[in-house]
Amino acid sequence: MKVWVWADVTPDGPAPSALELLTKARDLGDEVAAIALGPGAKASTVALGEHGAKTVYASDDEVFSKHLAQPTVHALAGLVEEHSPDLILFPASYDARDIAGRLQARTGSTLMANATDVLGPDKARTEILGGTKIVDVELKGPAPKLVLIRPQSFAADPSGGTAEVVEVKADVPDDLKKAERLERHEEEASGPRLEDAKVVVAGGRGLGGTDAFEQLEKLAAAIGNAAVGASRAAVDAGWVPYSFQIGQTGKTVKPEVYICAGISGALQHMVGMKGAKRIVAITKDPDAPILKIADLGVVGDLFKIVPALTEEIEKRRTGS
Amino acid sequence: MTVVLFVQRVRPRVALVANARPTGRGTPTADRVTRELTHVFLQKKLLQKLVPGLMHVFIFWGFIVLLPTIAEAAVAILDKESSLPILGGASWFAFVSDIFASLVVVGVAMAFFIRKVLKPDRFRGSHMEEADRILLLILAIVVTLLLWNASRIALGIAEVPDWRPVTNLLSGLFGTGGGAEIAERVLVWAHLLVILGFLVILPGSKHLHIATAPANVWLAKDGPTGRLEPNRIDLEAPEEDIRFGVATQKDLSKKQMLDLFSCTECGRCQEACPAWATGKPLSPKLLIMDLRDRVVAEAAGEVELQPLVPNAVVDQVVWDCVTCGACVRECPVDIEHIDTIVDLRRNLVMAESRFPQEAAPMLRGVENQENPWGEPASARLDWAKDLDVRVLQEGDPAPEVLFWVGCAGAFDERAQKTTQSVARLLAAAGIDSAVLGPREKCTGDPARRMGHEYLFQMLAEQNVETLNGAGVTKIVASCAHCFNTLANEYPDYGGTYEVVHHTQLLSELIAAGRLQPRTGDGKITYHDACYLGRHNGEFDAPRDVIGSDIEEMPRNRERSFCCGAGGARMWMEEESPRINDTRFEEAAATGAETVATACPYCLVMLDDVAKGKGSDIRVVDVATLLAEQPRI
Repeated sequence: MKVWVWADVTPDGPAPSALELLTKARDLGDEVAAIALGPGAKASTVALGEHGAKTVYASDDEVFSKHLAQPTVHALAGLVEEHSPDLILFPASYDARDIAGRLQARTGSTLMANATDVLGPDKARTEILGGTKIVDVELKGPAPKLVLIRPQSFAADPSGGTAEVVEVKADVPDDLKKAERLERHEEEASGPRLEDAKVVVAGGRGLGGTDAFEQLEKLAAAIGNAAVGASRAAVDAGWVPYSFQIGQTGKTVKPEVYICAGISGALQHMVGMKGAKRIVAITKDPDAPILKIADLGVVGDLFKIVPALTEEIEKRRTGS
Repeated sequence: MTVVLFVQRVRPRVALVANARPTGRGTPTADRVTRELTHVFLQKKLLQKLVPGLMHVFIFWGFIVLLPTIAEAAVAILDKESSLPILGGASWFAFVSDIFASLVVVGVAMAFFIRKVLKPDRFRGSHMEEADRILLLILAIVVTLLLWNASRIALGIAEVPDWRPVTNLLSGLFGTGGGAEIAERVLVWAHLLVILGFLVILPGSKHLHIATAPANVWLAKDGPTGRLEPNRIDLEAPEEDIRFGVATQKDLSKKQMLDLFSCTECGRCQEACPAWATGKPLSPKLLIMDLRDRVVAEAAGEVELQPLVPNAVVDQVVWDCVTCGACVRECPVDIEHIDTIVDLRRNLVMAESRFPQEAAPMLRGVENQENPWGEPASARLDWAKDLDVRVLQEGDPAPEVLFWVGCAGAFDERAQKTTQSVARLLAAAGIDSAVLGPREKCTGDPARRMGHEYLFQMLAEQNVETLNGAGVTKIVASCAHCFNTLANEYPDYGGTYEVVHHTQLLSELIAAGRLQPRTGDGKITYHDACYLGRHNGEFDAPRDVIGSDIEEMPRNRERSFCCGAGGARMWMEEESPRINDTRFEEAAATGAETVATACPYCLVMLDDVAKGKGSDIRVVDVATLLAEQPRI
């Protein structure tokens, strides 16, 4: 079975989603290929190969990044016609959603959005009613089946290997190049973005001021690649800017590990972080609502616990 | 000539109102007649501020009484010996008009004193010079009248001079000779010319309110101000018939248009507005003035027809509003700021998808999980784990009272305590009650106040179907917002029930001896929830439930100051200084140890400040205060 993965690429390399989807694709079919179009595609082929792509259809041509999705879809539709894949996995990114939708219109096949898992060549899983129900969906209609998959649905795992790179021609009719991207804005941030970080360290009212946030920064640095967030109370108090805010009116995070200190767990905050896989709560209040959803609750003085934790992590890191 | 100018100037404004969207509010109702009497003739809302109110009463009633004297002067211009039939020689009318003309002078003096000496902040942004001109014209009208009458007394041609104490006194200024003759002619002409000039200036000025205000009061909303005018969205209808709130002036209703021409720029709304008081750009007065100026300029072809937001008012102004209704309550001419603001929001949300992004999770939650926090419906009964609460299943007999828990009451940890207290008290009083549990959905209030009318409409229809299907006749709600929506807005969607707020039911049960009254000590202040108090007129029930003496805040009852959460502001970020900070400070200044609330929004907003400040003040719902009384 031919399973393809759409790889979002930039000059910095492939997006994590491409590697996640390839890891999954390996389990689904024997002929796994990736499609990478735009600057950075060729440079990404090594990583794509390592994660299971036997073939990478690639082009570094700017025409695929300079315009909206039309040139990309044109090239992709050509590849589909030539090679007849059975299934194509797309990440649920802005660009890939656009591409998948347009490809579906071109091929007349079936597109499923917002999937959380792919169970076979024509079966995918998703959550409905706000995640309260899980449903398996049968994909009918002609191949290729197109599935848009939520980020971080699978863990990326390299299998080793090298991909054969097939150059994709960039001859795109002019009428598909009418819409052009004039500018791109990069969001400035140090460290991982709060929404993307695998580990989030968050502080609340219990921190009592700006100084205590430095303790959290140190903890995040010791963990490595962790982001610092805050509850609304800490933001309202002016200790950290609004961009740190996690919760109903701030950011929603779903990290692997969420460590919070001095956060009691108002509903406003909890709706923004309850999707975390593991929650560690440090609070002095044994009745704090956060303890009800925490996997590990530590009742005590955060000003002692956080530095001790930081020290212990640093010790073990250097020790190993 | 004057008439031509007047008509020419007033016509564009009349046309704007006449061509606006119908309101369906023309028919006489008891409320309209009462309002016309109290708000217009008795000047009730003006007298909410005593001194400026009296100022206006003097001028208003002065002019009502003096209307016939215009005719008198007109007659006198033709023949100074003749006068009006009936009133002409009537001693009582001579006396009354003499007194009232003098009162107008007093009124104008008061107005200048207020404007030039006291200079209240509410006038910031108003057209002060225009007001001065109008006041001087008013003064000129009555001064010429008084002096003219005085000259007539001096000449001996005035009827019943003894009944004119003020002018009699002034008549000493004039001799009896030729000077007085000339003066009399000059004054009567001056009097009429000033009146004619006044008529010419009138249409373009805020003083047009003398014509528009009575109509605006007539067209005001009957019933509680908490009810928003529905904007029905029928997606089956032809596209051109679907209205998504107000984009341009073409979408304004007659009432909304008339509001713009009724504003006197008095700024009472601005003074009461929590957004303005905390330094936000929104002032209800400036909103109305800016809309008016834009509408007039567009109608005159000076500028292109454009969406009102951001061309008349910027986006933030529209989003700053907490819909607390303080402006509507203060407005002497019954302008309905909230309906216009919500209509502007409706267009931004439904047509433009342009709104503060932090509110998006709320709308998503209401849409997908039927609650603003996106919690699963199965968690709606988490609060009832340790309680024996009847959950109304499909097909069950209807309870005597349905307890509408509300989303905050179901999911918010602090509000859950209130819910539990209410449930315990209902059980203690032996009330046959039940909850809908997972079948309850958000009433749609936050979506509606945010401007997502379509989402609200869907929820209203679904909830009404559930409630009607269950045969519910009486509902008790522990959230002031749910209460308002169920009581005042669901009838528009086919759901008519007897809806009470939990404080109302509890106070009834106490009065009936079915619950022990509270006998607590400790200093307590009570914060009036806008949607229970000002919007629905319930001030006593929560106070009755508290039972003990209340350390009232300076702004209480009708003039309570919002907690900052209404109008979907609960789900938006606010720049400091925040409304809840301001209100909490006011509560703390009473010296109270406890701040009692009657709405989960108020509870959360004020408690957030208390916790943030590390204050010892306890913020708690009145139901919990009552429930924690030791039972005998």
